[in-house]
Amino acid sequence: MSAAGIATGMAVPARRPSRMERHRRWALWGSYAALALFVFVFLVPPFYVLMTSLKSDQEIAAQAGNPWFVHHPTLQNFIDLLSMPNFRGYFINSVMVALVTVAVSMVISVLAAFGLVRLGFKGSATLASGVFLTYLIPDSLLFIPLFQVIRSLGLINNVWCLALLYPTLAVPFCTWIMIGYFGSIPKELDEVALIDGAGYLRMLWSIFIPVALPGIIAATIFAFTVSWGEFLYPLAYLYSSDQKVLTVGIAGDLIRGDVFQWGKIMAGCVMAAAPPIVIYAFLMDYYIAGLTAGATKG
Amino acid sequence: MRSTTLSRRRALKLGVAATALPLVHIRTAGAAGSVSIVFFDAWVQAGNTAMKKQVAAWSEKNKVEVKADFLSTANNQIVITENAEAQAGAGHDAYSFATWEAPTHLDYLEPMDDVMARLATTIGPPNDMAAYLAKSKGHWMAVPSSSGGQLKGCVGRISILKQAAGLDVMEMFPAAPGASPGVDGWTWEALLKAAEACSKAGKPFGIGLGTTGDSSDSAGCLFASFGAELVNAKGEIAVRSDAVRQALEYAQRLVKFLPPNAVGYDDASNNRALISGQAALIFNPPSAWAVATHDAPAVGADCWHFPPPAGPKGRFVSAVEYFWGVWKFARNKTAAKDLIEYLSQREQVEERCAATMGYDMPPYPSMMDFNVWADETPPKGTLYNYPIRPWHKAEAHISGAPAPPAIGVQMYNRGTMPTMMAKLKSGESIANVVGWAENELEGFLRG
Amino acid sequence: MVDGTRELAMAAEPPRAAACRRWRRLLHRRSTVALLMCLPMILLIGGLVLYPALYALYLSMLNRRMTAFVGLGNFLFLLHRLTFQQVIFQSSLFAISAVLLKAFFGFILAHLMHNIPNRHQRIWRGLLLVPWVIPLALSTLGWWWLFDPSYSAFNYVLKDLGFTPVPWLGVAWPARLCMIAVNVWFGTSFFMIMYLAALKSVPEQLYEAAAIDGAGAIQKMLYITLPMIRNIISVTVLYSLIVTFANFDIVRILTNGGPEDSTHVFATYAFQVGIQSGDVPLGASVSLFMFPLLAVFAYFVLRNVTRRGKEMAV
Repeated sequence: MSAAGIATGMAVPARRPSRMERHRRWALWGSYAALALFVFVFLVPPFYVLMTSLKSDQEIAAQAGNPWFVHHPTLQNFIDLLSMPNFRGYFINSVMVALVTVAVSMVISVLAAFGLVRLGFKGSATLASGVFLTYLIPDSLLFIPLFQVIRSLGLINNVWCLALLYPTLAVPFCTWIMIGYFGSIPKELDEVALIDGAGYLRMLWSIFIPVALPGIIAATIFAFTVSWGEFLYPLAYLYSSDQKVLTVGIAGDLIRGDVFQWGKIMAGCVMAAAPPIVIYAFLMDYYIAGLTAGATKG
Repeated sequence: MRSTTLSRRRALKLGVAATALPLVHIRTAGAAGSVSIVFFDAWVQAGNTAMKKQVAAWSEKNKVEVKADFLSTANNQIVITENAEAQAGAGHDAYSFATWEAPTHLDYLEPMDDVMARLATTIGPPNDMAAYLAKSKGHWMAVPSSSGGQLKGCVGRISILKQAAGLDVMEMFPAAPGASPGVDGWTWEALLKAAEACSKAGKPFGIGLGTTGDSSDSAGCLFASFGAELVNAKGEIAVRSDAVRQALEYAQRLVKFLPPNAVGYDDASNNRALISGQAALIFNPPSAWAVATHDAPAVGADCWHFPPPAGPKGRFVSAVEYFWGVWKFARNKTAAKDLIEYLSQREQVEERCAATMGYDMPPYPSMMDFNVWADETPPKGTLYNYPIRPWHKAEAHISGAPAPPAIGVQMYNRGTMPTMMAKLKSGESIANVVGWAENELEGFLRG
Repeated sequence: MVDGTRELAMAAEPPRAAACRRWRRLLHRRSTVALLMCLPMILLIGGLVLYPALYALYLSMLNRRMTAFVGLGNFLFLLHRLTFQQVIFQSSLFAISAVLLKAFFGFILAHLMHNIPNRHQRIWRGLLLVPWVIPLALSTLGWWWLFDPSYSAFNYVLKDLGFTPVPWLGVAWPARLCMIAVNVWFGTSFFMIMYLAALKSVPEQLYEAAAIDGAGAIQKMLYITLPMIRNIISVTVLYSLIVTFANFDIVRILTNGGPEDSTHVFATYAFQVGIQSGDVPLGASVSLFMFPLLAVFAYFVLRNVTRRGKEMAV
């Protein structure tokens, strides 16, 4: 089905407009059908999470009846979570850290990518590869020696240590994504800009960033998601509730030994998913609108 | 003792929606110094509250500022941070070590012989397993603690065991001092018969064969009661022995009656099997029952705790033992030691044990008689036989002992024993299983 | 805008020689500017990650008690362990199949999405992004419920339809496939987003020009789409391969490596031997086992990206 989806999706050439139109319409409906199927498959677990979050502890524990539906829906899990001062704190911490991470990562990556791919210096390629290779040392090992670094900065049990650590997870990938985008922009543009007397920064700002905007937004989304979902660093470096973030806060408060507060964990999942989804859906709207406008101008 | 006046329902609620910040930062006027310590984040928040209260009292008395962090075992937070601190040579002054974490960090710990000597005069010596884990070359390297300690005996459904298997567990192990009438008859053979009967009745025993702690612990007490040591105390592989063979022959019969998904169990699966009413018996500390009293009251009121069955070589109860140790790099060793000693006294231990509804199990034989275990309901006395009573003829056991801890810890965490049973369940022969175990154990001997 | 400037560039062809001289003069300043622009990144990675990374490499070459340097001894020891051989197989199966599937489905999704009118995309994008935005450590707990040994919601449906229940996590192959499925579920949206952004940045005019030349769908795909988004595909696949090889949460939560070690991947096995069993150096070697292979792979992929960037630029 999926392969067919693509084939119809790409089907275009036709001699007579009427036939082409028919093809297009079929392609469109095919795309919708295939997308619907994907959405269905993708949403099975989230649907189940949502259903479970609406169940009472008793209903979850009973493990009887159809698990896919709520028999006695209750918002108690959500109310309990929201009335936990801890939970609100985790939420605020997560949002703050994610915003700072995104800002820091994007500034660093865009600058570095531009410097590396458009200007370059001796060993710039090696440097770029070296930075990416840091991913090869997984955080499940890196956290041990990193503890010492964070400690010497005095940031153990301080939520802002994450604003330093998360960019290390986001920057290498974002940089390379931006290298990819910047690399595909024709070189003539630079020369023209330079002849016009524009400085490098202005060149970056007024030519490269607008052209590579889709990439920048994709990288932004990536950076946000990384910092929203990262688990190990906050687990290892944050101890007190006023410093914790959403992921470890939910897992730590609602899992106690072998006792899981399932309903609330699932409610936490739902609430953790909501903000990024809303932001991304609109963020991408904006860039697509901007793009199509740009494209038709030419 | 205030917390015992809370109803359990309320206490459980507190456990979840607790307001308490797991951080005590006690500043005393004119503090003569400060000390930082990591505690086990108690399963019931009331346990943390009791701990904070005691720490505050000590802090007030000694004019020492205490910074206490409560780290969770969920997602292994307490273990992860501990390794980071050990490697960095910096962090808190004192730390709480779960079972195997003390022996694996002996090199990083300050000897505690002085504290242990003084404690011996007030609360007596801890059990043998504590010495096995925390004593190195004759020196105590950490102080056995009740905070986080558990025993993983049986918790069974009174009605199902009676109807399906003809076992009256309340009569076998009554909530009263003196010899339990059923203690001698409660053997692995008896458990096998009951497992078969309950399995036929559609309520199999929820004994896991996964690789997490609960599975390792139940397999460990089975192996120990047959005298089956995979690796002996000298560190030699002993898997080709009659005792191991006997244990495996028994296991081969038992696994048939365990639920088909027992190999996929983790530490929460057995709880859920009991709470949902699908299992007649599990090996677990009181947490499963305590949750049941809230989430499934009918099941909760139908649960009884009793020791595990005995085998040819005796009765062994798998234990989780916690220790308080002081890092070598600690800045304030004297204060840390003094705080630990204070928190280890009977009065403090009993108060915290009551706050955790009897969950915290002290590793000291002198403390097996706290009132909380007799008082907890429903049903009245369900926890009476959770601690090891003298007439149980049982001893605490660490799954993996008596192998040298460096090897035992790997057997435990890699789930060697339950995996052997899982292989039997999937139909492999005993010879194959022994061969596999031998190869696996060779890998653990690395120096 | 792109094209507007390009036309300008064409017009500016004659004075190119003069510009070249100016370029050369700027060269010195140019590399300084480049270095300055990279400085924040160098500080961040060099300051925070470089020392820990080197220390981690060093750690993997110590003996259990960390008293002696054993070189590659830990790696050789591991290679001889049956269980670890299983871990290598399982990790490779997990990572490679998951990344291929994610890349494939992500590619399809991006095209489907690109196909439908912009004004309808928001809702679809939002829905398709759901798996990726729920923190993995939490959503895996939801999956765990779906696979639960005693009360699997999938089995409920299977039973309803008259099939026999599947012990999802209790038998080796179903468990392995479940791990891969969860990872594909989680990561496909990431690929979709990356590809979609790349597709959006391909100028529409290129397709129009190709259509005028009579190019078919396949030709357009081969000669326009793929070359234009090749860099993004390579970097995304490379990144995904590395992090999937290091994946920890899914296996830890769902099976903890069981049944009978059949689902252990490097990260979970490393955690068991390193952190939980007090053999940090061995755990480090497990974590770094794929380092050489992946490093070589990464080197070639990244070199190609850089080269293509240069080719385009020249």
